[in-house]
Amino acid sequence: MASPPPASAPIISPAEIQILVSRAGLVLNPGQVADLVLAWRQVAGLIGAMNRERRIADDMALVFRLPPPTTTAPAVAKRAAPAKQAKEPPPQVKPAATARSQPAGKAKTPPRLAPAKQSAPKSPAKARRR
Amino acid sequence: MKPPVPTYLTIAEAGRLIAQKKLSPVELTKALLKRIETVDPSLNAFLLVTGQKALTAARSAEKAIMAGQKGPLLGIPVAYKDIYETAGVRTTAHSRILLDNVPKQDAETVRRLHDAGAIMLGKLATHEFAIGGPATDLPWPPARNPWDTRRFTGGSSSGSGAAVAAGLALGALGSDTGGSIRLPAAFCGIAGLKPTPGLVSRRGVIPLAPSLDTAGPMAWTAEDCAILLDALAGHDPADPASVAVPVGGYAKGIEAPIKGLRVGVLRRFFEHDAPASPEVMRMMADSIRLFRAMGCKIEDAALPPVQDYNGVGRVIISSEAYALHEATLRTRLSDYSRVFRIRVLAGALIRAADYIAAQRRRTDLIAATAEAFKRFDVLICPPVPDAAPLLAEQRPDDGFARPLITTVANVAAVPSMVVCAGFTTTGLPLGLEIMGPAWADGLVLRVGHQLERAAGTRDRRPA
Repeated sequence: MASPPPASAPIISPAEIQILVSRAGLVLNPGQVADLVLAWRQVAGLIGAMNRERRIADDMALVFRLPPPTTTAPAVAKRAAPAKQAKEPPPQVKPAATARSQPAGKAKTPPRLAPAKQSAPKSPAKARRR
Repeated sequence: MKPPVPTYLTIAEAGRLIAQKKLSPVELTKALLKRIETVDPSLNAFLLVTGQKALTAARSAEKAIMAGQKGPLLGIPVAYKDIYETAGVRTTAHSRILLDNVPKQDAETVRRLHDAGAIMLGKLATHEFAIGGPATDLPWPPARNPWDTRRFTGGSSSGSGAAVAAGLALGALGSDTGGSIRLPAAFCGIAGLKPTPGLVSRRGVIPLAPSLDTAGPMAWTAEDCAILLDALAGHDPADPASVAVPVGGYAKGIEAPIKGLRVGVLRRFFEHDAPASPEVMRMMADSIRLFRAMGCKIEDAALPPVQDYNGVGRVIISSEAYALHEATLRTRLSDYSRVFRIRVLAGALIRAADYIAAQRRRTDLIAATAEAFKRFDVLICPPVPDAAPLLAEQRPDDGFARPLITTVANVAAVPSMVVCAGFTTTGLPLGLEIMGPAWADGLVLRVGHQLERAAGTRDRRPA
């Protein structure tokens, strides 16, 4: 089944933008709303032009990766491993030394964005040299 | 009396001299720190110079060399875009939001370079959180182009491009979500590689849009990028997108001949989709002639229009960047630059159905691009339609509608590099983009190296 033809992204008025912005939990001043109206028109144009002619059956699932089985898997599973797999040479890859003890998906995340601060930032001249 | 340290050295040259004990890493580091002090006030490439740490690391490298250790990056001074986490050293993403952020550990890529003996000189300017354009409402000014300080470096790895071109660091790390390594490489006349996604770990690199983010090397030559990639590439189980594939041998393979290589020219990109200036057209004609002279088979190639890739890329970037920053945008909106707000806030209005449509369309574009590589080994085009524009001409609300050729490789998930292939009549550098099929990073570097050498652009430095 082919997807229906795409609808062009609708033109949104500043008043409608204000509603959507409020729904997103943002508080914008009139200048920021004006900037957003302009930016949204450009993005809306790109969305409207996007080709969506794709069979619905073409996407079976979103991609995700399960972690490998743990080493404490039942012994029975180990015995069941086919012998030929053991003969396969290991891939020649450079492992990440610091990551060896970390299970997949437990990567150190980037810093949480800082909470609001009242103090003014350091001057560039002070901040520049360390 | 010791001979003076040459003003300009490539990583390959410095590595050879250091290995032969003709160049001291300590003297090299001191010379670069002095040069940063003299030159950088007019370029703003560095947000932070870590001079003491650099000298300590240089002394360790020197000891290691005297003890007989060897390695192409041992004692080589480099610098990092300020979205790479560095243990104990402030990492700001060029933003007021992270002004006091001091990470506890290094990004995996930084760790790999340090393990290889590289020396960190400091942290480099970027567009705020690696998106947008030059901003004047941030704690630091935007970087300036060493070839003409009135001009834009390109971005977002703006400090990386400026520092390498000006000889302030022998190599740098950048990141590339829609062209952020290759645009500054083009405007600053250096080499920059956006690797195949999954080849280089992104752990500890502050993300912009995880579906498209890649981390990669920037240096004066393609050969130097290959040396850096030899250290950077490799599986990292802590980056979910990292792939366990055989890696290495990039520098070693760079001299293999390219005779018989099938080079596809993406002519419609620069004649129709993003029309190039006459000087860029001349550079393309010269590059094609050089490839022919090296025995390559040249033919025009076709991919879907640049605008198709751009639409997908920009919907994904705006959506994912907004999602990552939503909580902070709600509480500290005015602490972001205006250009960041313009580029990212639109993500608040993108519907989930449109974001998923972009991801689905990306699958088609990846397949269409891979199909083209059945006929061609590499594809070439100019990454930008002209040389570096004036900084004063950059508008905060500019960019969404303008076609960006570099985004093609991000959306298509293929390796792509820019090398300096010529100059305008006024002496500004012109870049050539080379794309290869997924995992052909070594081939892309090899083609870039040989084109760079044939074009003879690497002997010319900014005044």
